[in-house]
Amino acid sequence: MEILALKDLSFRYPTEEKDTLSHVSLAIEEGEFCVLCGGSGCGKTTLMKLIKRELAPHGALSGEIRFCGKKQSELSSRESAAGIGYVLQNPEAQVITDKVWHELSFGLENLGYDADFIRLRIGEMANYFGIAHIFREGTAHLSGGQKQLLSLAAVMAMSPKLLLLDEPTSQLDPIAASDFIATLKKINRELGTTVIIAEHRLEELFPIADKVAFMEQGTLLSFGTPREVCRELAAHKISLGFPTAARIWQKLGGGGEAPLTVREGRKFLAEFCAKNAPISQKNDKEKTETSKKTLGGTPALTLSGVYFRYEKNTPDILRGATLDLREGEFFCLLGANGAGKTTVLRASAGLLKPYRGKVQTHGKRAVMLPQNVQNVFIKNTVREDIEDMLATRGASKEEIPTKTAEIAEKLGVSHLLEKHPYDVSGGEAQKCALAKVLAAAPQILLLDEPTKAIDPAAKRELARIIRELCAEGTAVLAVTHDVEFAAENADRCALFFDGEILAPAAPQAFFDANNFYTTAASRISRGILENAVTEADIVRLAGGVK
Amino acid sequence: MNKNGIAFSRFHPVSLFCYFLLLLLFTVFTQNPVLLTLALLGALLFNAATNTARQTLADIKFYVPMFLLVALVNPLFSHSGATPLFFMNDNPVTLEAVLCGVNIAVQLCAVMLACKAFSKVMESDKLLALFGKVSPKLAVVLSMALRFIPLLKRKWGEISEAQKALGYFREESVFSRLASYARVFSALVTWALENAVDTSASMSARGYELAGKKHFSLFRFTRGDGIMLALTVALSAVTLAGFLLGKADFAFYPRVSTVNTDIFSIITYAAFGILSLLPFIFEVKEVLKWKYLRSKI
Repeated sequence: MEILALKDLSFRYPTEEKDTLSHVSLAIEEGEFCVLCGGSGCGKTTLMKLIKRELAPHGALSGEIRFCGKKQSELSSRESAAGIGYVLQNPEAQVITDKVWHELSFGLENLGYDADFIRLRIGEMANYFGIAHIFREGTAHLSGGQKQLLSLAAVMAMSPKLLLLDEPTSQLDPIAASDFIATLKKINRELGTTVIIAEHRLEELFPIADKVAFMEQGTLLSFGTPREVCRELAAHKISLGFPTAARIWQKLGGGGEAPLTVREGRKFLAEFCAKNAPISQKNDKEKTETSKKTLGGTPALTLSGVYFRYEKNTPDILRGATLDLREGEFFCLLGANGAGKTTVLRASAGLLKPYRGKVQTHGKRAVMLPQNVQNVFIKNTVREDIEDMLATRGASKEEIPTKTAEIAEKLGVSHLLEKHPYDVSGGEAQKCALAKVLAAAPQILLLDEPTKAIDPAAKRELARIIRELCAEGTAVLAVTHDVEFAAENADRCALFFDGEILAPAAPQAFFDANNFYTTAASRISRGILENAVTEADIVRLAGGVK
Repeated sequence: MNKNGIAFSRFHPVSLFCYFLLLLLFTVFTQNPVLLTLALLGALLFNAATNTARQTLADIKFYVPMFLLVALVNPLFSHSGATPLFFMNDNPVTLEAVLCGVNIAVQLCAVMLACKAFSKVMESDKLLALFGKVSPKLAVVLSMALRFIPLLKRKWGEISEAQKALGYFREESVFSRLASYARVFSALVTWALENAVDTSASMSARGYELAGKKHFSLFRFTRGDGIMLALTVALSAVTLAGFLLGKADFAFYPRVSTVNTDIFSIITYAAFGILSLLPFIFEVKEVLKWKYLRSKI
């Protein structure tokens, strides 16, 4: 049975001149897992909000939305509130109450259930979602992953037939995101709840999705099973966020079924290489050149045997951390959650004093961009923020406007200068924050999870900006979970573990040596191609690009 | 302190609220030194039994000076009373005023310690459960406020650290530091408003606008809670009867009246004494019970 049917749906915001959605038609069967993807601003969020009547934006709407065979306007408010669950992007803002149990009971209270029913249901929920151990705790101190899981549980407590999720994992680190997606899969498979999720991190979603809807500029470009969508899009373009295996498949010419997982990717690559002789490492000229690149430049940031703990009786977070960051180098520090990677940055920025060891910046100015880039903004427009930073740094009144324009130009944010920093998208907010950071004229730039809440296109843009800064001699130190980003862009990578910075090396050597903590491309090509850690490596070595 | 938290706090919010309301009313509206001493004794014992050593020390440092101050101030300003002890600056310091001062100090300490006990026993959850019975919407608003305070605190820390890492707050002058704080504050307000938009979306998505809302709390009204409530009401009724019959009347001026010792007065004292000591009795009972249970293991 069709649970949701959209017929020729068009929508226009009152202030816009173009349709945000134009003639979207699609049908979702009951129990399906559907992924809605497409670049920022393609209309994903608008579409989702239109389906959930309580959140529908104002504007001109034409076409029809049917839920369980009924027209949306004919649904009772109870059917709409309980029947369609909605999880938002921001974990911080969508938690409502102060206690975990109260959050779970919130929707049930609104539906007017008895205390005994609610008591049983929230107990069930807490168990199913693995949050029983925090049942009586306050919500304010939960981690982002826990908050998002709680929001999901709170929505599921109302037993919706259709679950809508708008980029629920974009603010989470990869491990928490994986957990969240695994839980979604469990809900879909075990309870039969229909799921529609808008996301740009698709590596893990494609293999479990029944349907994929790919949107571009308000139109539905492709809709079908993941493999169908891959085949359909292979001809002109596959989006950046698609699984690595599918992207490699497309770049090597496509043909046959698209591989979606690492396992399928390995199978495809092995067959491909058996047919076409790949370039062996000896003949790989590009590779030998890149690996020969030695550590140049003068030291920019030196950590020597740094020890730090937050309180006298707590364990050491840094235990002899040692690092040698050079001018013009992009260094990525990888490692698990809560290991203390951010502590390295804070010590480097001079926000913390180590109790043993030394942090030297060699007279250079270190500036840090925090994980949540919103924290950087304190004015009403991006321009004011940049100008304020310049003024604080002692720029004269005459040079401020030209300098602001210069920085904005460099980062491609000139069109955003008059906007409020909270009104721009994730990727744009990051560029604006970087603009403000650059106004502080850093010689050492410290980045905390710079790829966290941004889409693949913005990630590519970020990599370009970092490259430019490095070329100008700025030393960049980033802590990140994003192994793909590090493998493709870093000069050196290292693993942060047990308070130490381990095995700094060029990404190829670093990731090739790791079996588990490595890129999908490396896992796909291991044993088939030598030393390939990025998608580009595989494509080059397998002979796709001559 | 009891290892399992405070025994008295396990009662239902309604029972607890009634208990403290009645106890405080009696304490505030009497001048009878026997009743006030009993009120102070109950609050003192309960707080001592549930404090850690450090908290007790802090309490002593606060309450003893306050007691002395209040007791001393009254005779300096009040010169009524028939029995002058000595003259200061040509003003009589009377026995009645001294005793009245001590009595007021006892009353004040008893009320403050009872309020302290109240805040120990009634956590935010219980207050919410209570308000929720009156208005479910009010309970949600309060709950949101309770969540918001720690959130704002953390966000303040995050924003100011981000600004420090950018080079603000490094100025020496007080004025520019204040300006930096003002910047952070305005950012905090913007963030809060921005967040509120999402929060309200999340609320309406989960049916906040539906009619027929019910209130839910984790607390269940059990037989024990009923007995406790009945006991409180019964003891209070006896005390109130004593009040109405004038058994608790007491005056300091012009002369200190004598404490009633007839049988009904004694009953009034006993009823109020048990009422005041109830939390302490439960605490002791629980500790003994645990000792006994452990001895059997």
